[in-house]
Amino acid sequence: MGISVALDGDARQAAAARLAEEQGLVRKAQAGDRLAFEELVRRYDRDVLRLALNLVHRPEDARDIYQEGFLRAYRNLHRFRFECSFYTWLYRIVTNVALDHLRRRTTRREEQAPALPEQDGGVPPDFFDRQPELSARANPEKQLLGQELGRHIEEAMKRLSPRERMVFELKHHQGLRLRAIGDLLGTSEDTVKNSLFRATRKLRASLGSVR
Amino acid sequence: MDANLNDRNLVNNMTSEPCAAWEPFLVLFAAGDELDPAEYASVSAHLAQCSTCAAALDREEQLISLVAAEHAEPDAALLAGCRAGLQDALDRGEERGWLSRLLGELFPASWLTPRPAWSAAVLLLIGFSVGVLGPRFLRHPQSPSLAPNSDTSASNASSTDAPSGTSSAGASAVNISDSSAASSPLPALDWRSADVAGINLVDSGGSGDPSVELQMRSQRPVTVKGAVDDDNVKRLLLGVLGGGERFCPDVRLSAVDCLRARKNDPDVRAALCHAVRTDRNPAVRLKALEALDGAEPQGIVRQTLLDALVDDSNPGVRVEAMNSLRDMTDRGQLGSDDHTLSVLRERMHKDPNAYIRLQSAEVIRDLGPREKF
Repeated sequence: MGISVALDGDARQAAAARLAEEQGLVRKAQAGDRLAFEELVRRYDRDVLRLALNLVHRPEDARDIYQEGFLRAYRNLHRFRFECSFYTWLYRIVTNVALDHLRRRTTRREEQAPALPEQDGGVPPDFFDRQPELSARANPEKQLLGQELGRHIEEAMKRLSPRERMVFELKHHQGLRLRAIGDLLGTSEDTVKNSLFRATRKLRASLGSVR
Repeated sequence: MDANLNDRNLVNNMTSEPCAAWEPFLVLFAAGDELDPAEYASVSAHLAQCSTCAAALDREEQLISLVAAEHAEPDAALLAGCRAGLQDALDRGEERGWLSRLLGELFPASWLTPRPAWSAAVLLLIGFSVGVLGPRFLRHPQSPSLAPNSDTSASNASSTDAPSGTSSAGASAVNISDSSAASSPLPALDWRSADVAGINLVDSGGSGDPSVELQMRSQRPVTVKGAVDDDNVKRLLLGVLGGGERFCPDVRLSAVDCLRARKNDPDVRAALCHAVRTDRNPAVRLKALEALDGAEPQGIVRQTLLDALVDDSNPGVRVEAMNSLRDMTDRGQLGSDDHTLSVLRERMHKDPNAYIRLQSAEVIRDLGPREKF
């Protein structure tokens, strides 16, 4: 137990040191230090890109969200008051950008057509084609099933509202707590719960026949 | 059903509820870490005794893992492309002009957007300021001081001078000539709109100095004719030369030609030196340099030549300045003071033009005493 306490203490110290270092970087960036801002970008940009990619499924759109999100953060860095972590503040910006993007796409349905070129058989390649799934490649039947499943899932995800999609992504893929998601989206935990529940029901209805 | 989700106490009292009532809690149970310990214990107890809800939870977890299988991880190429794109965008942002940044600070969009009336007022004020003050800044500062006499002179001129026969916009032209010009004040001219139609040197047939004929285009055209020594003529010529871009280079060149005869007049010398330093046209600067050749006192002229030799952007002008200095040396008019020698030494070593380097060395040598350099 003594060892456990000591480890907890070390972890807390390390976390505090990380936080202090990050705050130092933010202060430098606020003073106009580009390198400090770029260091902050490198800390979180993989998470940001992952979130964007899994929300919009198209690399070019994910790239737009990434860029717009970080540019907004850079322009508004002077408004960051250290009332929350930089990570939370940055994610708040990025989720807003992503939600705007998803809402624009919802109003322009034609944009939701598959972006990748069709294969010889006229079947558009889906997500699984873009993954290094060696076992599926080795097994054409499995690959075909994977493509079919991926298409179903993508269609099901498109039936979610932007907010439901965002909540589902942040909860199940980014691993955030519902309260944290509420903070990011500027809403209550109960509203987030309802969004998650509606998303789950819609997915269940869409994918029920698949499973 | 949403209400069930939001009521944390409900789960503790619903052990006998139908399975549908447990559904929201199964979603949170599958999501992990979202139920408090009491809720978690209640749901676990119910799952242990209810096969329907256990199967529902199983389906819930399958759904999550099914969707998770589609989860994409950004590859390194995409991440690198995003980073490069962001760098470019940040660079472009930093390259924005300081003016736009300053305006952004002074009038932030967040301030102006909710205040359309203020925004319109600010824009009107900026437009008015630019429209009213802009032309004043653009106008050459010397022009007003060179304007002819006061308004009272206009009435004198218009009442005493005969119309020349040419007219513009219905206004009769004013002709001031010869002996009358020496004593008559010029009529009032609107120097903002006045332009010089032409300057002619008229040969007096060997009887004396050539006279100058200067035609001014204005609301009321004016022709001034007289000797170069005439005050009105001189004032107009100085106005033309000092007017810079307001008058075309040909007219400024003609003005220099006319003024050359009075190069020792302090006003003329100052105007020529000013033209050498500031006129935008190299031909005018060159001609002004030539006109200064031999002017007195030599100190002012020498300094102008040295400045042109060092600062002028046109190689031809600099070569002409060098030649003038060379001529002054030949005439024994260039003193061997420290400043002159220092400038010439610097030119001798650093000037990009080989002719100037060579001539600088020659002049230094001629100025003697010989010294090591």
